[in-house]
Amino acid sequence: MLAINVERTASKGIAIGKAFLVERPQLKKVFDIIPDQEIATQIKRYEEAVHSAEKELSGLVAANAIFGAHLEMVKDIALYEGVITKIKDEKKCAEAALSATAAEFVFIFESMDDEYMRERAADIKDVSHRLMCILQGVKSNPFEGITEDVILIAQDLTPSDTVSMDLTHIKGFITQEGGITSHVSILAKGLGLPALVGVEGILGKVKQNDVVIMDAKEGTIILYPEDSTIQQYQNKIEEQRRQQEELAKLKTLPAITKDGRTVELCANVGGIKDIKKALEYGMDGVGLFRSEFLYMDNNHFPTEEEQFAIYKEAAQLCNGELTIRTLDIGGDKALSYYEFETEENPFLGWRAIRISLELKEVFKAQLRAILRASAFGEVRIMFPMIISVEELYDAKEVLEECKKELDREGISYNSEVEVGMMIETPASIILIEDFAREVDFFSIGTNDLTQYLLAVDRGNKKISHMYNSFHPAVLRSIKRVIDAGHQNSVKVGMCGEFAGDERAVKLLLGLGLDEFSMSASVLLNTKDIIRSTYYEEAKELADKACCKQTIAQVYNILDIHR
Amino acid sequence: MVSQKITVKNASGLHARPASELAKVCSQCKSDIAIVVGEKRINPKSILILMSAAIRCGTEILVECTGDSEKEDLEAVINAIDGGLGE
Repeated sequence: MLAINVERTASKGIAIGKAFLVERPQLKKVFDIIPDQEIATQIKRYEEAVHSAEKELSGLVAANAIFGAHLEMVKDIALYEGVITKIKDEKKCAEAALSATAAEFVFIFESMDDEYMRERAADIKDVSHRLMCILQGVKSNPFEGITEDVILIAQDLTPSDTVSMDLTHIKGFITQEGGITSHVSILAKGLGLPALVGVEGILGKVKQNDVVIMDAKEGTIILYPEDSTIQQYQNKIEEQRRQQEELAKLKTLPAITKDGRTVELCANVGGIKDIKKALEYGMDGVGLFRSEFLYMDNNHFPTEEEQFAIYKEAAQLCNGELTIRTLDIGGDKALSYYEFETEENPFLGWRAIRISLELKEVFKAQLRAILRASAFGEVRIMFPMIISVEELYDAKEVLEECKKELDREGISYNSEVEVGMMIETPASIILIEDFAREVDFFSIGTNDLTQYLLAVDRGNKKISHMYNSFHPAVLRSIKRVIDAGHQNSVKVGMCGEFAGDERAVKLLLGLGLDEFSMSASVLLNTKDIIRSTYYEEAKELADKACCKQTIAQVYNILDIHR
Repeated sequence: MVSQKITVKNASGLHARPASELAKVCSQCKSDIAIVVGEKRINPKSILILMSAAIRCGTEILVECTGDSEKEDLEAVINAIDGGLGE
C-alpha cells in the first residue's frame, strides 16, 4: 500500500476505481511509395480500418448525432474509391492515400459558398483522423474503451476533452497539472465528482488498471490498497451518501438566515444537462450559463437558430432567472474550428468581450438568440471581462442593434431584458460606481478577479499557493462592489468558485451578497450553512474580516484552519 | 439503362439530411446509378459527392439506372426524391 498526500483539493468526495491513464495519440506522417506486391496488403489494411471505424462510430451514434454523419462518411463509396485508386495507381501506402483523398474532399468543401457545407470539411478531417489513428494503431479518442468504474488520471484535461468523455463510469479525476480553478476542477464540481489536481509524478507511480482510492476531502491517494482499506473506504462512501440524503431534505426550502434574510442560490451551468442536474438540487435559477460550451462542443460557430433552441429550452426549464454569459473564450479555452494566434499572455490577450466586439456577426448571432429566448423565461444577459465603460457601451450598442432588427422582423423578445456584467478585472473594481449606473446587475467572477488582482497565474503550480481569494485585497474589492451596487439598486451576485466555498459563505452573506451562484453539487451544503446562520452576526464577522491586513488574520477571524 | 427527369423540391437543395437520405436510398439499389446535373455526372451513392455537387432547389436532374433491377431501382430513387427525402 502506498499513500500519497495531496495539498490541494479541487472537488471533494471519495472514490474507488481502476486507474485509467489518459494517453494522447501521436501520429506519424507516412508518405511511403509501395512496391506492386504490397498493393493488396495496403488495400486490406484500409478496408480493415474502415471496418473498425464503422464499429467505433456505431457505438457512439447514441451519444451524439454528429457521429451518425461521420459513420456515413467513413463508409462513403467516393472516399473508399479515392483511397483505393491512390493505392493502386499511385502506389501510395494506405495512410498516404487516405490523407491525399481526404485533403481533396476537404478542399472541395472548404471552397464552397455555403457556410454549412464549409463546416463539413471539419467532419471529413475528423473521420480521416479516426481512420489514421486506427491504421497506426493508436486510439483516436483517449477516453474510449472505459467500460467499468475508473479514476481518470491525466497530465491535464482540456475543455474539449469533456466533449469526448463518456462520464458514466468516471468516478474521479487526478491530474498532474492544473490548479483548483482549472477546467477539470470546475468540471468535477459540476458533476459532484472528486478531483485532485497538481499531483506531481502520479503518472509515473500508477499503472493502467491499478486499483486506486482517492479521498479528496482529506487529500489522499492510496495505491495498491489492502482489502481492509478498500472496505474502510467503501464505508466512508456509504457515509457520504447518507449525508447527501440528509442535505437533500433542504431541497425545497428557501435559502433564508435564522433572522430572515433571504438570498438566491443559483447554479453555474454549462448546458441543459447541468440545468436538469441543478434542478434536482433545488436551485433558485441559473446565475451563470457558460455559453462557451456551445461553441467548444461544436465544429462551427453555432448559428442563431442552434443557440436559440438551447437558450429557449434552458429558459423554459429554469423556474427562476437564467443568466447567460456571452461568449467567454480565449485564455485557456480554444475552438477547434477557429485559429487563435498564439499569444504570449493569453489571459491578458484576445479573449471574451474583446473577441465578441471584433467578430461582430458571431456576437450578433448570440445576442439575437438570447433576446429571442427572453420571450420564454427570465433571461438575463451578462458581458464578461469588461475593463472600460466604452466597452460596455459598445456591447450595449450591438444589443440595441439586435433589438431593432428583431422589431423590424416582428420577432418577439423581452424589451426589458436585464443587462449585467462580470466583475473580474481590477479596472472594473476601480470604476465600479460608474459601471453601477450602467447595468442592472453585477456578478463577481472571483476566479479571474483573484488572479488579476494578485497577478498570480492560477495554473502555475510554482505560485498557485499564492492564489487565494481570502487575500484582503480580494475581500475589500468584493465589499466595494457590493456596496457600490446597493447604493445604485444594482443586484450583486457572485459566480466564481468562492461563492461555493463553505469557508466563505458566512463572510459573503455578511457582506450583503444577494446571489450566490455555484456548482450544483455544493448548493445544498451552502444552503445548510445559510439556514443555520444569523445575518446580523455574519455582518459583524464580515466587517471585522475586511479590516484585516493579512490572510492569516482573515483566517483567524473566520476560524479557518488551512 | 432507364432514366427519368425530376426537379429537386427541397427548400435548401440537396443539403445535409436530404443528401444523406438520397445516398442511403441509392446505396440500397443494386443498379449502377448516376445523376446528371447540367454537364456533370455524379455518383449519388456517395454522400460526399452528392453534397459537393451542391444541387439547389428547383434544379432539374436526370436519374439513370443500369442493372438487372434498374426499373425498380429508378422508381425507388424517383419516389424518394419526389417524397422530399425525409423533409
